[in-house]
Amino acid sequence: MNAPDRYERFVVPEGTKKVSYERDTKIINAASFTIEREDHTVGNILRMQLHRDPNVLFAGYKLPHPLQYKIIVRIHTASQSSPMQAYNQAINDLDKELDHLKTVFEEEVLKHSRDY
Amino acid sequence: MEGGVATNQRFPKIKIREIKDDYLKFELRETDASMANALRRVMIAEVPTIAIDLVEIEVNSSVLNDEFISHRLGLIPLTSDRAMGMRFSRDCDACDGDGQCEHCSVEFHLDVRCDQDQTLDVTSADLMSTDPSVLPVDVAAKSNSSAYDASENRGIIIVKLRRGQELRLRAIARKGIGKDHAKWSPAATVTFMYEPEIRINEEMMESLSIDEKRSWIESSPTKVFDIDPNTQQVVVTDPEAYTYDEEVIKKAEAMGKPGLVEIEAKEDSFIFTVESTGAIKASKLVVNAIEVLKQKLDAVRLSDDTVEADDQFGELGVHMRGG
Repeated sequence: MNAPDRYERFVVPEGTKKVSYERDTKIINAASFTIEREDHTVGNILRMQLHRDPNVLFAGYKLPHPLQYKIIVRIHTASQSSPMQAYNQAINDLDKELDHLKTVFEEEVLKHSRDY
Repeated sequence: MEGGVATNQRFPKIKIREIKDDYLKFELRETDASMANALRRVMIAEVPTIAIDLVEIEVNSSVLNDEFISHRLGLIPLTSDRAMGMRFSRDCDACDGDGQCEHCSVEFHLDVRCDQDQTLDVTSADLMSTDPSVLPVDVAAKSNSSAYDASENRGIIIVKLRRGQELRLRAIARKGIGKDHAKWSPAATVTFMYEPEIRINEEMMESLSIDEKRSWIESSPTKVFDIDPNTQQVVVTDPEAYTYDEEVIKKAEAMGKPGLVEIEAKEDSFIFTVESTGAIKASKLVVNAIEVLKQKLDAVRLSDDTVEADDQFGELGVHMRGG
């Protein structure tokens, strides 16, 4: 009867931004990114990729509540970088990793389809 | 960018072990568990397929009620090679969502009446599609019989009718994802395991008698180790049968031989098993999952106005800090 629509879990409502950025007021080079309608799938790969960046001093994500369909990614970087820079680089690197993965996977499938 | 463009990109490796239309086993290496798990989660819940979503019942004098039948229709897997290129009906501009639109929906008709004494099975084969590329998977498998032996295939039973009962309906299939409803999930099972690395301390193992070796091998609930008939040595026959139960380690300790075997999970090697419902091929499922994950990452990129707003704030910040 008053159940929320199922699509509310993955459709960003009109007038809401997918990603919003909030700088930390107390610490330089620290910020939180609030990502709407995402979960552990994106949160965890972003966090792990950020950990591989030597300029990142802290990176973590949380799903504040299972019924609030958003995640918060918090990044703290060293002075030669910035949270925004680290965030963008993490996405670029993951994107390239997936491109690579797609090519090698398709090559393997092609190799095996020729075999039989 | 300051300090040059130092990327932390990885170049994972893939090796396919077994490939069938609805089954795939492969090794994923040189990446981490977050990537493996993201792929698994996307395959289960976010790769789109087509499934019946709206049913208009004209006549139903069967023993099952309308919503029961509608639910059963929704769960029939449909061939969804078209799904990646289709639109979600909620984002479709070309139509008002009534299902007549080629970009976002496929119409099905079903009209069966029983006029005999024997009970009549209404099956997926009675569903008439308006699009030849979107069919119930068992019907599609029958038409290209190379896939598997179709002689046993009776179709997916929807309801049974006795004399005089009738079922007539119109159904609309739409594109969707498993997060919305499990009927849209193309995956039957997707799992991955860490590849185990098993090291036997050969010196210590040789101090055991043949009976001790046998009883130690027997302590493993799965067949991981065996005795080489020629050399009488304990060998690892199937490392992947190991379920991380640690029974062999406990047994070694109980025998007073701690450190007899060391088992480690390799943190960058994964063995994936993918089983598809037949809606899309298992290999295509993986490719689509990679594509969907890429799209998701693109969607979480920062928009230009956020960057601009921060640049202004950034300058202000520098002034405030006395820069």
